[in-house]
Amino acid sequence: MEYQQDVEINGEDEYLNICKHNGLCKKEKDSKDDTDSNKLSHIEKAYTTILGELGEDVDREGLLRTPLRAAKAMQFFTKGYKETTQDILNDAIFDENHDEMVIVKDIELFSLCEHHLVPFFGKAHIAYLPNKKVVGLSKLARIVEIFSRRLQVQERLTKQIASAISESLEPAGVAVVIEAAHMCMVMRGVQKMNASTVTSVMLGTFQDNPTTRKEFLALIKT
Amino acid sequence: MEHSKQKQYGSSENKETGHSSVLNGHFDGTVKRPAAGPSLPPAAESGSQRPVMESWREERTRSVEDNEMSLPSLAAAYTTILRGLGEDPQRQGLLKTPWRAATAMQFFTKGYQEKIIADVLNDAIFDEDHDEMVIVKDIDMFSMCEHHLVPIFGRVHIGYLPNKRVLGLSKLARIVEIYSRRLQVQERLTKQIAVAITEALQPTGVGVVIEATHMCMVMRGVQKMNSKTVTSTMLGVFREDPKTRDEFLTLIRS
Repeated sequence: MEYQQDVEINGEDEYLNICKHNGLCKKEKDSKDDTDSNKLSHIEKAYTTILGELGEDVDREGLLRTPLRAAKAMQFFTKGYKETTQDILNDAIFDENHDEMVIVKDIELFSLCEHHLVPFFGKAHIAYLPNKKVVGLSKLARIVEIFSRRLQVQERLTKQIASAISESLEPAGVAVVIEAAHMCMVMRGVQKMNASTVTSVMLGTFQDNPTTRKEFLALIKT
Repeated sequence: MEHSKQKQYGSSENKETGHSSVLNGHFDGTVKRPAAGPSLPPAAESGSQRPVMESWREERTRSVEDNEMSLPSLAAAYTTILRGLGEDPQRQGLLKTPWRAATAMQFFTKGYQEKIIADVLNDAIFDEDHDEMVIVKDIDMFSMCEHHLVPIFGRVHIGYLPNKRVLGLSKLARIVEIYSRRLQVQERLTKQIAVAITEALQPTGVGVVIEATHMCMVMRGVQKMNSKTVTSTMLGVFREDPKTRDEFLTLIRS
């Protein structure tokens, strides 16, 4: 959330194509379609340069369409910039008289390290204590998708997921734990194959009440 | 830049520099051009592929100096990519990302810089009267998919039957490193490793099995999380004798 706020303050909304108003932005989106394909071709050219500079032969059969494929792949890996929680959550919040912990665990997560542009991937475990409103379960996974399909730092990703759930549902508490392996540490640099990074954010009751937190942590371990 | 560019695309430059080496350009699993012949147009080239593996003795053409010289253009390309994706390259987290990403990508393709004879194998071939199977398994392997520029990672298992000459064990892993740190296709990688060992040692047989996960299938496209791709190359007695092959496959499974 911090990150998005920074962007608004700097007045650079357009960079991120973040549409906060579902309907109003459609026109924007339409006029941005040209720019989208322009952007694709810029990225494609950049990849052609990269292949050349790495010493490869861009004309060999296996690499002929690689710049285009790599550009599209990269756009897919950063598609989260175009999505907002409002887009996906609006219909799936239900009034339910349930105030016990709801956990969705082992949500596969794939993101890109913003420092090296190399993937990191792992699992997210999310829990919340509803306050008369519950959310469709797959929406929790979709929230993870929105924020993970961006150039990210694991700490910020965890916080963004927790804040998004907190703001849309106003639950009594939210907890998010992410464990991930960072290819930037595994494939290069220190090259530690089995290291995994764990980050967590506890809000509301999860932060104030140690018993609640313990229950959550125990349940995600099984 | 000129000089290194000449080396990088060994096309018409072949004639000018007078190199008789066939593959001054980059290896793509085929012999691209005859040594002293005229340069063929790309269409004809791919049509007339001779199914010959590049000799592992081939010199690589990227040097450490080339790396340093390419860094600014690589960084500029990455800055363009960041902008194209809609990000702000000036925000704090992304300020040095183009340089880091460029260096990372050079690391992931460092196999292009390494020469098997000079760097790796010269000293470590020993005469040993051993003719039983030698297996080095579970060698972690990291490569880049040449189609999507996304990581591939997995394990390599190598077995060979020495013919009076054995190789230092870590050199098998180094051969894997040299060929995997490139833009690769798993089938070609497997074969390159097998052929390199065959040509260096002339063993009675070589078997290479690679099991890998392709991020291009896991993170995008079909998005199948648990899928693995297994490829193998069996040469010599591993190909001809089913019992040897069975023994190898059983031993790598346990």
